[in-house]
Amino acid sequence: MTDLAFSKDAMKEYEWMLTRYPNKEAALLPTLRIAEREFENLDPAAMKYVADLMGLSPAKVLGVVTFYTHYRREGTGTYHLQVCSTLSCALRGSEDVCAHLSAKLGVGLGETTDDGLFTLSKVECLASCDTAPMLQCNDDYHEGLTLEDVDHLIDRLREEAKAGGAA
Amino acid sequence: MSDSGAGMVSWVLNGDPVESPAGMTILEAAKAHGAELPHFCYHPGLSIAGNCRICLVETNRSPKPAISCSERISDGLEVQTHSEKAVEAREGVMEFQLINHPLDCPVCDKAGECTLQDYSFDHGPDESRFVEKKNIRHTKDLGPTIKIWGNRCIVCTRCIRFCDEISGTGELCVVARGDRSVVDVFPGIPIDNPLAGNVVDICPVGALISKDFMFQSRVWNNEHTETVCGGCARGCNVTVETNEGFVKRLMPRENTDVNDWWMCDFGRYGWRYAHDDRRVSVPRRGAEAVETELEAHRDLGELVRGAWGGSKKVAIVVDPFLTCEEAHLVGRVAAGTGATVGGWLPPSGDELTFPGKFKISGEKCPNRRGVEAVLGQEVFGSQAKAVESMLNSGGVDLVIVFAGFPNADCPDALASAVGKATARVAFTLFDGAWSEAADLVLPSASVFEKEGTYVNEDGRLQRVRSKDRPGDAQLAQPGLHSASISSPWVTSELVALQRALVHVGDAERSLSAAGVFRQLADSNEHFKGQSHRGIPATGVPLGGLAPAGVGEGSES
Repeated sequence: MTDLAFSKDAMKEYEWMLTRYPNKEAALLPTLRIAEREFENLDPAAMKYVADLMGLSPAKVLGVVTFYTHYRREGTGTYHLQVCSTLSCALRGSEDVCAHLSAKLGVGLGETTDDGLFTLSKVECLASCDTAPMLQCNDDYHEGLTLEDVDHLIDRLREEAKAGGAA
Repeated sequence: MSDSGAGMVSWVLNGDPVESPAGMTILEAAKAHGAELPHFCYHPGLSIAGNCRICLVETNRSPKPAISCSERISDGLEVQTHSEKAVEAREGVMEFQLINHPLDCPVCDKAGECTLQDYSFDHGPDESRFVEKKNIRHTKDLGPTIKIWGNRCIVCTRCIRFCDEISGTGELCVVARGDRSVVDVFPGIPIDNPLAGNVVDICPVGALISKDFMFQSRVWNNEHTETVCGGCARGCNVTVETNEGFVKRLMPRENTDVNDWWMCDFGRYGWRYAHDDRRVSVPRRGAEAVETELEAHRDLGELVRGAWGGSKKVAIVVDPFLTCEEAHLVGRVAAGTGATVGGWLPPSGDELTFPGKFKISGEKCPNRRGVEAVLGQEVFGSQAKAVESMLNSGGVDLVIVFAGFPNADCPDALASAVGKATARVAFTLFDGAWSEAADLVLPSASVFEKEGTYVNEDGRLQRVRSKDRPGDAQLAQPGLHSASISSPWVTSELVALQRALVHVGDAERSLSAAGVFRQLADSNEHFKGQSHRGIPATGVPLGGLAPAGVGEGSES
């Protein structure tokens, strides 16, 4: 995996990104976004590539990637279901949503289903308190959830995957 | 408020008006005035992080308690370190620190020197109110010498800042966040740098553990000897910790003139040779063990007496592991016998300087400059050449060789020349060509068994102390050598040489290292005015010796 490299377009975007920040290190978050897009997920090889590209220690990149929940890490399923569990959502039943998903998918928190389709995790506030409880699936918000909504969502995603339209 | 001197700030500490230099943090200034504040993340040698919050104090500047390690003093500042509010704030922090802590002190190597324990005693609650499940974090190897118990980690980031700022290697980071965060390395890039061991020292809790010391000893059982490291010419100040005579570990001692708060792993883990089974621990004539050391020392005295007065051709080969005191005694033997003295050095290594300014010397011996100051600047240079050619040309009646090398890795040009003398005496740590050819072999003391002084590459005179108690009182126990080979009770060259001088009649009695040093100070201009008792804990620059890097004193 040593031959990882940004595409020409990605490199261009990265260089433009650098011009928008006071120093290289500050551009790490958007660069990781580019890497995520380029390499599908941020596995150690991808993190190492970004570290070398930006002149940072690989450990620093690892620290940043693992600090946030929203980067796609190695082994994440096609659909990353992030259930908000902070105050508003917790009061409105996010625990039930988590438990329901966990039972339905047969995985615990932070785990991925055997078919590699779903990863379930519980995350901190996703800034959608007015529509609690909610979850984020990849880049989409699903708000004002009931357990039926959750069932529908999973069914729809399974069909979507079967049809080969996974995001 | 009184007049402030230039750059001084007037402030109030616990109701007392005090003055401190501007720019100091509350924590540092309060410490200077005798009020020590608890701290986990603050370390004087590292940048300020201000993340542990255990150093909170009450001030008149804000309704919230202030982080004393990062907030600087200013005129009119009033600080309360032990007001109800300050203590309550710190107790709150302590309770949070202990929420996920496993409280496994009985099996933790840090117990006894753990700041979490100390502050828990000072500020912690009697019992936990936490009834929920504790978080579990990883326990694993971070590198060849270091292991982490993640559950104990309080994420102060001292170790990470050390790797970023001092060693400049940046192997460590905090992974995850919140109560799941813990120190880790990047997959496949372990912490493996020459200064790695320091992260264990500065870990305020038992999270980072040295595999070398793991489960070896409870720290409160260790005896502490403040000495200097013999690994290189840097002369890092260290504390040797022993248990029943066995070295358990070496810890750096703060000395901002030499090693700051650090030491390298080469020195830290380089003590095992002292307990090596192959060490020469019993004196012998040829291959035959001599019953007592006293008898062997009499043999030495007899040989020296035979050559006294310059009637014979005598050569002495010294090593740079000898203390200044031992070198002085060698000088006396040389003066009495008219001997030519030369020295040999171990092969040099790489000199390393780290971003944090810490330096490892390429000269892998502790006292070249001290021996030169006593026996002449050319002792390892032209004098060594003279001794070598003298031995090679034959006709040398007596040669005395000192080979205190921690391994048998030393220049062999001289070693093979030694065999050409008629009578051969070797002081040695390990057997080599020089001792195999010797008529009389005497054990050398290692750096950990010597009493005296060393001079580092900067010309700084520092005290070396023996781990063996009662140090110089070995003098009072003639002939004693331990039955255990792996922990030999070695009578040092200091004692052997003095016994020889007494035998010859050149000395009335044997003296302690301090006594020999007094003779040296009286007779040598470099050491004039110095005494063992007068040497500060951090050493003293020696008169008339140029600082490091000038390169005077040739290396052979």
